[in-house]
Amino acid sequence: MSSIELDHVSKLYANGAYGVRDVDLSIGEGEFVIFLGPSGCGKSTTLRMIAGLEGITSGDLRIGGRSVNNVAPRDRNIAVVFQSYALYPHMSVRDNMGFGLKMRGVARPLIEEKIREAAGLLGLTPYLDRKPAALSGGQRQRVALGRAIVRDPVAFLLDEPLSNLDAQLRAEMRLELVKLHRRLGRTIVHVTHDQVEAMTMGDRICIMREGRMIQVGKPLEVYADPVDTFVARFLATPPMNLLPARVEGRGDGLVVVGDGFTVEVPQMHRAAYAGLAGREVIFGLRPEDLHEAPQPGFSPIEVSVVAMEALGVENILVGQIGSGEAGGKATAKDAAKPLEISARLSRHFTAPVGARVPLYLDPRPMHLFDPETTRAFPRPSLRLVTN
Amino acid sequence: MRRIGLHLGLLFACALILVPLLWVVRTSLLPEHLSYSPELMPAVTLDNYVALFTSTRYGQSYLNSLIVAFGSVVVALPFAAMTGYAFARFKTSGRAGRFAVLATQMLPPVAIVLPAFALLRTVGLTNSLTGLIIVYAAVNLPFLIWILMGFFEGIPVDLEWAAQTDGATAWGAFWRIVLPVSLPGIAAAGVLGFILTWNEFLFALVLSGPQTATVPVALAALQTSNGVQIAKVSAGVVLAVLPLVIASRFIQRFIVQGLTFGSVK
Repeated sequence: MSSIELDHVSKLYANGAYGVRDVDLSIGEGEFVIFLGPSGCGKSTTLRMIAGLEGITSGDLRIGGRSVNNVAPRDRNIAVVFQSYALYPHMSVRDNMGFGLKMRGVARPLIEEKIREAAGLLGLTPYLDRKPAALSGGQRQRVALGRAIVRDPVAFLLDEPLSNLDAQLRAEMRLELVKLHRRLGRTIVHVTHDQVEAMTMGDRICIMREGRMIQVGKPLEVYADPVDTFVARFLATPPMNLLPARVEGRGDGLVVVGDGFTVEVPQMHRAAYAGLAGREVIFGLRPEDLHEAPQPGFSPIEVSVVAMEALGVENILVGQIGSGEAGGKATAKDAAKPLEISARLSRHFTAPVGARVPLYLDPRPMHLFDPETTRAFPRPSLRLVTN
Repeated sequence: MRRIGLHLGLLFACALILVPLLWVVRTSLLPEHLSYSPELMPAVTLDNYVALFTSTRYGQSYLNSLIVAFGSVVVALPFAAMTGYAFARFKTSGRAGRFAVLATQMLPPVAIVLPAFALLRTVGLTNSLTGLIIVYAAVNLPFLIWILMGFFEGIPVDLEWAAQTDGATAWGAFWRIVLPVSLPGIAAAGVLGFILTWNEFLFALVLSGPQTATVPVALAALQTSNGVQIAKVSAGVVLAVLPLVIASRFIQRFIVQGLTFGSVK
């Protein structure tokens, strides 16, 4: 009943600019879906179109199989939690939570019961008679959630609900939301620009950019196989290293050669990349695939240390490789600093700034991108490799 | 040292504003023949106030002013609230529409008063409180629209969206959420409209007659061919200022409340 289907949905503004462009997505009943993207990418607009707060220029939106393009927000039975919480400031917490039911003509005793239930679930019982102004940020957030829960909607749309909370509270609420989803079993669409939320909370993430949905998939799939350099850089901090390089045939194998590094293409990718010999590419490797100790199959590189960030659990090394002269030709716009490289190393590894240290890169999770289109060259998918 | 300087400056500013007013209060309490006395307070009497109500129509005018000021606000506010909201939320008529509304306020009142008189004469509403109420409501409307537009713009659209997804219609969201939240602003606008009407002289002079004169007109009428009856004028001014003092207290409260009321974030 609560599946949401976006069938080539677009939003065109009066000035001719696209807010959302041809989004095609089917969200299953009870699924937890994340819309992830930088600000202005159209993710909130898409959410508002699902809620009915924004008109749809073309395409079809179906909720539970019924086309709702011309259905008013109040008739869609969808709850939205806004970034600003949008609590009614002149009403008590109780009235805020009961407003939706009151609007639907639910009997007062039943409303009271639902409010009590939701307040108990969210730990809001002591605050029911307070006004929103007398609540902390975290409590307001809970009231906004509670207001959504009491209505028992077919789907929850969350528009960056955690972004106004401090880091610790955000981590707590992240877990709460996941638990809540498990408990209620309702469809949730969660909009965020936070990679951690995206990776940890949802069944699927949909990455948006400039109004388009450029990749949809399970978090680890998207992480392991980004479709282009944008997704590769966006989904983690520090982002994937992208270095201009060139593919060359060597004997019966393939190597990727860039300024300061030479990587042998592992056997598993050779067939996929065979056609690239002689081409300029962008070589992509995540920071955690650089190691301080050699292992069979790893390729050594020499890095001069620019900065060491000690995070306690690990050390992030930011360094430079190569002479810094070559590679200009293959520079894509996403690879703004082609010769800067970051590596996620053990917390026991330290090196002074300016030192030249050897690192070893694991070529198995490597990616090659087309410098013209920034798209990834297809290769066999790879589940996360552990050493 | 700087604090002392600051306080001296503030004292001076207070004196500058208060001394003329206090002098009017003093004159209103002196017997008429001592009005121009150089002494500070040679005698005290309420004769001027009594005379004002017994020998002139001041009492009638006072009542007229209250009726007209209240009436015009009551008539204008609903229109101002709806128009201001439409301007704030929708692209209705764009910037041009907003400025067209404001532009009517920029005409000199003299340019409006004669056509207004001609219009009222046609419908037989000259020398009537109803006519005055309608004209004041119309003249104050643009001002009130702009004040309320600013208030509505300050209300996050998320609130209305939340109400709409909660099951309210667009009208319901306005009525149940936007109006209550902007009540302090609406009250402040109402008080400002009241003050504007209360003080207005030109329209009242041209459009009213002896029975419908408002306070400013009644006060002006005390400047007779026998000279200015300064004692009565003073008493009249003191009474005329009273509602404004009360109104300004209200406005202060509403505006302060308005600033803290909507703080949701």
